Amino acid sequence: MTPPDAPAATADPAPMPDATVTDPDAVSAPPRRGPAAAVRKYARILRVSLVERMTYRADFLIGTVLRFLPLITTILLWRAIYEGAGRDNLAGYKYREMIAYLLLTNISRMFSSMPGLAAGIAREVREGTLKRYLIQPVDMIGYLLSYRVAHKLAYITMSFLPYGLLFYICRGYFDGFPGPATMLAYLASLVLAFLVGFYFEAAVGMVGFWFLEVTSLLYIVMTLNFFISGHMLPLDLLPQPWAGILKALPFQYMAYFPAVVFLRKVTGWELASHLLLELAWAVGFMLLCRALYRMGLRRYSAYGG
Amino acid sequence: MLASLSKYLRMFGHLARYTLTRELSMRGNFLVKVSVEVIWLGIMVAFYRTVFARTSYVASWSESEYFFFVGCYFALNGLIETLFLENCNEFAELVRTGDLDFLLLRPIDEQFLISFRRVDWGTFPNILMGAVLMGIALVQKGWTFDPARVAAFFVTFAAGTVIAYSCMLVLTSLSVWLVRNQSLMEMWWLFTSLARYPREIYKGPWAAALGDVFTFLIPILLVSNVPANVMVRVLDPAMVALTVVSSILLLWFSRAFFQHALRSYRSASS
Repeated sequence: MTPPDAPAATADPAPMPDATVTDPDAVSAPPRRGPAAAVRKYARILRVSLVERMTYRADFLIGTVLRFLPLITTILLWRAIYEGAGRDNLAGYKYREMIAYLLLTNISRMFSSMPGLAAGIAREVREGTLKRYLIQPVDMIGYLLSYRVAHKLAYITMSFLPYGLLFYICRGYFDGFPGPATMLAYLASLVLAFLVGFYFEAAVGMVGFWFLEVTSLLYIVMTLNFFISGHMLPLDLLPQPWAGILKALPFQYMAYFPAVVFLRKVTGWELASHLLLELAWAVGFMLLCRALYRMGLRRYSAYGG
Repeated sequence: MLASLSKYLRMFGHLARYTLTRELSMRGNFLVKVSVEVIWLGIMVAFYRTVFARTSYVASWSESEYFFFVGCYFALNGLIETLFLENCNEFAELVRTGDLDFLLLRPIDEQFLISFRRVDWGTFPNILMGAVLMGIALVQKGWTFDPARVAAFFVTFAAGTVIAYSCMLVLTSLSVWLVRNQSLMEMWWLFTSLARYPREIYKGPWAAALGDVFTFLIPILLVSNVPANVMVRVLDPAMVALTVVSSILLLWFSRAFFQHALRSYRSASS
């Protein structure tokens, strides 16, 4: 059984962009141009997506409550591991730090996981619905990005209370908040984690232009990602050369890196250079995604009529 | 009684053969599904190898015992996924679209049809992979053959499957009221995180209470723990009896709950 991030079955199909057209204003108005109009356009997509997200609240709450079970069992498991080892330091992680790390990776994944993004893109290619982005004045990647930002905003806002409560209960595992500079770096690493996650998965989805069915590829990538991003355990625990290899890959920015920033295990120049590297990966994946999209469109033949 | 049992068995045979034919018509997809499960088992093994490189015991389980437990969980979960997960996962969609009507009209037991409609052959190899892992663990432990343990293992393994299925059926039935259930796959993954680790990790004041709740009230902790325990650790007849009795009670309860849910179904879309 693969972890929940992996099944593309949880995919929410992105609603049609013309959901925004229900606004009478948008139907009759002539196309407006300029940056202000563009901001308005994507802000409206964001609002519609927010409303959509809040429709099934009971369902959402049950999901949030269930989501705490793995946290509890993980804490208990690691306590048993440290007790079994009979010492309070495994690969530089004290027991408290380990739990703090595992809690923090959930925050990282809250930003970087993109359920259903790649599968959604591949579906649009396969079913031919992608053409709506070609005939409407909206850029697909821009649209998906604002849709995703809305989902993340809604999700993070809704989870703020339960997560706040959880971190309050678990405050004993933390040494308080880090200083403002670290906090700022942490926030930056999270925002970049979102971008790395978004553009990475979107790029995987673009492969759908060449292979009409990518869900299988996606399952493999996401299953591997669960481990190599450091979601299950700190990469430092792995034997060399694996720890070194995994820390050189971009996947660590989706779970491991933000957590160790918060725990002040990466500081000074190392922190700055890693943030720059994370930015570079985000930009790199963005360029890759754009390039694949352009190349894919040349092959695209709008099946499905 | 016997006639209807053989009718249902025959029907299950036909359904299984039909889904196998469908599955084999898309062999590439089948192979990818299997390789994802192989990767996942590889990740679990890598994780616990990393852990056991730094400790010899986790919650009083030695490495070989623990790997037997992992294999047992993997096989049992594979069996559940092969038989039920996909079917139950579709139930929410049947409720939402109103297509459940078509299934309710058929002249056979609704629970049978909803639970066994499809066999997900893609996860079938998980049972074998789990068995291989259990076999390796037994060899590493230097286990000597004991028919009593083997018999107790198969009985509790079957009872554990029944318990897990009953829990899944209750979760599935909830979607009649929730209308859009978050994918059951995800709910199930979160719920089974309780069964994924040995029961001995539930130590300390609140954790012990939690462990008791999930042993006696919602007995999900009996699912892979008891079969693994009777095979490689202690053969405790009381635990075997508890598991069997729990499975019967829970199966009865989940069936009643499912039928209650069906009575609340309002066939929204037709």
